[in-house]
Amino acid sequence: MTKRIIIDTDPGVDDALTFLLALASPEIQLEALTTTQGNVTLDKATRNALSILELCRSIHIPVAVGSMYPLVQPLRASAYVHGESGIGNSQLPAPQTRPVMAHAVDFLIEKILAEPHEISIFPIGPLTNIAIAIRKEPKFVKAVRELVIMGGAIQENGNTTPQAEFNIFVDPHAAHIVFHSGIPITLIPLDVTHKCLLRQEHVERLLKIPSPISRFIRDAMEVYLQASYEKGFQGSALHDPLTLATIIAPELLTLKEYYVDVDISGGVSMGKTFADIFNVMKKPTNMKVAMNVRGDEFVELFLQRMETLSRSITDYTVPHA
Amino acid sequence: MQNMRETSSNMPKRILIDTDPGIDDSLAILLALASPELSLEGLSIVHGNCSLDQATHNAVSILELAGARHIPVAKGCELPLVQPSLLAPETHGNTGLGYAKLPEPQTRPIRQHGSDFLIERIMSNPGEITLVAIGPLTNVALAIRQEPRIVNALKELIIMGGAIRHEGNTTALAEFNTYVDPHAAYIVYHAGIPTTLVSLDVSYQCVLTRPDVDRLLQIDSPLTRFIADTTRFYMEFHDEYQGVEGCVINDPLALALTFVPGLCNYQYLPVDVDIFSSVSLGKTFADFYNYNKKPANMQVALGVRARDFIELFLERMERLAKKTAKVS
Repeated sequence: MTKRIIIDTDPGVDDALTFLLALASPEIQLEALTTTQGNVTLDKATRNALSILELCRSIHIPVAVGSMYPLVQPLRASAYVHGESGIGNSQLPAPQTRPVMAHAVDFLIEKILAEPHEISIFPIGPLTNIAIAIRKEPKFVKAVRELVIMGGAIQENGNTTPQAEFNIFVDPHAAHIVFHSGIPITLIPLDVTHKCLLRQEHVERLLKIPSPISRFIRDAMEVYLQASYEKGFQGSALHDPLTLATIIAPELLTLKEYYVDVDISGGVSMGKTFADIFNVMKKPTNMKVAMNVRGDEFVELFLQRMETLSRSITDYTVPHA
Repeated sequence: MQNMRETSSNMPKRILIDTDPGIDDSLAILLALASPELSLEGLSIVHGNCSLDQATHNAVSILELAGARHIPVAKGCELPLVQPSLLAPETHGNTGLGYAKLPEPQTRPIRQHGSDFLIERIMSNPGEITLVAIGPLTNVALAIRQEPRIVNALKELIIMGGAIRHEGNTTALAEFNTYVDPHAAYIVYHAGIPTTLVSLDVSYQCVLTRPDVDRLLQIDSPLTRFIADTTRFYMEFHDEYQGVEGCVINDPLALALTFVPGLCNYQYLPVDVDIFSSVSLGKTFADFYNYNKKPANMQVALGVRARDFIELFLERMERLAKKTAKVS
């Protein structure tokens, strides 16, 4: 049984790697991408999404354009860690395909309500689109199969403020809406993504297979690796791709059920995601949280999938009709 | 009177109302229908005074009462953006219309979502549409986030909401519409739309009294009986909770300013709403002395010729009552 997913995304280097991993995984049927601002502006996010699908000869997958701004917070200058374009130093050609007409929010609502409980959404950027879909169509909550969210830092440091992780910090109000919506959620926080590091030697291993895919990964990773070294990491965290481990290698993740909330009260902890690990608040749990991962095994699996994809897509592969 | 002339051009002003009827909302809808200066092009419905379903039912019923069933009604949001739901049955009764009982409506809302309806009407008539928002601002905020271009396409936005110097009517500090969805208000206030705020500071001077209603009842009509039944509950609330004799008709004042702006005087001010703290959550405040060095983002009505407004309201209701009585 392949699992049908939509990725809600702000590509972003690790977002791009997530698309590649989804397309390289026979367990997954990627139904669509919906875009949002975050790592880059909405225009760049949409352009990158289309370009990467073209790179992977997967132009049959629709892209819907979503939110230009966070819900309540002001627009934040995009994170430099992804480079000016959002995909490092890679120079993908301008996309020939176009996004669908529908707004991402309406696209999600229509797609999910047309086939209730069939499709899972993987939000790997700020949660604005998902929050608006929930408020606009309350039936959305019961029809989504599951959300697998990359976001938050539970017992790990923040990567944007000392406490807060980027996706949640950019739109904490949207996260608040989504966390308390009642949709089944699995959260992939920095606690686990920081254990899945892609290193320079891995990039070199991939380059042994000549392919637009391996070259794209090299070019995309240059800036991203540099930013990671500056923070004291030996490689770059595969934040967003790790969400797909819930499908392709769930045994690598340790999931715990917690009551999780996000601070929207505007002080020093704004956007901090926290779990009530000792259940001191006596509230029912609202999500599963990945608290541990066998990181090296996930990275190895990622590399194998990228090698397979690189072999299948050469400079002579014709686009999927 | 100068302002009356200013706006008395031949073309009626095209308006949409975003509303949660609601007793004073229903009076605002009737005032719009009674005013030849206006062309009411639709209602978008939001949670607030009562549930979304009840508010939609009420909106359709009121349009039918006034013989205006051709006006589209679009159902919008049933919950505030971030805060939990808060309705006001003690103020507006369990049905939202006090003691009034209207016949079961024959017409239905359109299929389009309220915020999509706003987007479509505003974007297809750039620079033409005045939006009068008299409920919590959830639909309007969602429309702004989903189609940022409406900010420049709207001619004008008139909001009933907030309490600047006046005490709150929901918490000690906060007015109901703003308190119910402060995050939506925050989005709308800072969107950059030319905005007029009609706060409790002016609306609480506009009291409809029992003798005013008796005057309307001299015309025997379903419309005047509706106004009497709906406001009787509202007056009981005002008496019991706030010691006000009569009832405050907030929303009709906001509606009247679309065509008689001279009823109020205004000041351009930087206005904001507290979305962070607990005791002042939903408090709308103006920076009169410009401590924060921010540009003004709206004009705030700070004075009102209250009795002139009530007189205008009564005349319009008499006119509409005679007209609808003839039709039925």
